[in-house]
Amino acid sequence: MFMKTFEENLIAWIDGELSEKERARFEASLDDSAGAFAEKAQAEKLGNFLRTQLQPRAMGNEEFFHHQLRERIARETATASTTEDASPVPRETWWSIRRLLWLGASSLAVFAVCTFFVMRQQPVANQSEYLTQILNARVDPGVNPDATVSIFQTKDEEHVTVLWVDGLKSLPSEYAAK
Amino acid sequence: MRRSLFSVLLTLVLLCAVSAPARGGEMVWSGLVVATNTPRPQVPPMEMHRIAGTLARTFGYNQFVLIGQSRKTLQSGEENWMAASKHFSLHVDARGPRKDGYRLNLQLFQDRHVLLETDATLSKNSPLVIRGPQVGAGQLLLLLIVQ
Repeated sequence: MFMKTFEENLIAWIDGELSEKERARFEASLDDSAGAFAEKAQAEKLGNFLRTQLQPRAMGNEEFFHHQLRERIARETATASTTEDASPVPRETWWSIRRLLWLGASSLAVFAVCTFFVMRQQPVANQSEYLTQILNARVDPGVNPDATVSIFQTKDEEHVTVLWVDGLKSLPSEYAAK
Repeated sequence: MRRSLFSVLLTLVLLCAVSAPARGGEMVWSGLVVATNTPRPQVPPMEMHRIAGTLARTFGYNQFVLIGQSRKTLQSGEENWMAASKHFSLHVDARGPRKDGYRLNLQLFQDRHVLLETDATLSKNSPLVIRGPQVGAGQLLLLLIVQ
């Protein structure tokens, strides 16, 4: 064992860590025992003050915090055990190429069928109620000054549109040649 | 899997082909006809069978002799064609399909002279007949029918 220095003995004395024998010897070695005792009392006072003031703050929701902590520990423990136990499985998504192809083809088919029925319901222009119309008719007045034009449609189911031109010059039968 | 996919695609193609709107491809028959009355009338041209009775009632003739004709299949609806006989010719200038038919410009020529010019919208539901000049004892008729 080696001898303690004065400072070490002083600190141990103030902290009350010396044995009876050491304390008696140290107190006997003090030159200013009154000052030393006053300093010790002051150090004890300061220590007590610090101990009372520096207590850890009490938690307002201590139970909840503990509960959360236990839950998290349990969860992490379970996850860790599952990861360790389970063999690695490749993750498979629902959107595989095959399913995407089928989905696309099916959508196109539905679209085509709908388009087909919609188009069928629309009236075709040439089969609608429209009839042939004469927009304007012109006869050269220099060649046929007495020509007149009239337009009508037959009342039967054929709905023939007739452009009736009167007053054209009559021609000999040779003009009927093919 | 591949066979099923092929079937689906084939069905799609067929549906698209069926559902595609018919554009063009209709034939227009143009005829120059001389209508006369005779005790033994000839059978009218096949293209006129549908309206021969109507023409007989409307114009008062019982025989229709074809002296010139033309058939034109419309693809774009903007084609030109001509039906001609020795002295007459009908020039047709199609100016595009419309909602209510084909827009046409018609010109009737007697040799080199324009006898008549008109614009018309020709519908499949309604043949067009133009009463031309008197020729001998008959009447020249110009017919346009979408077939």
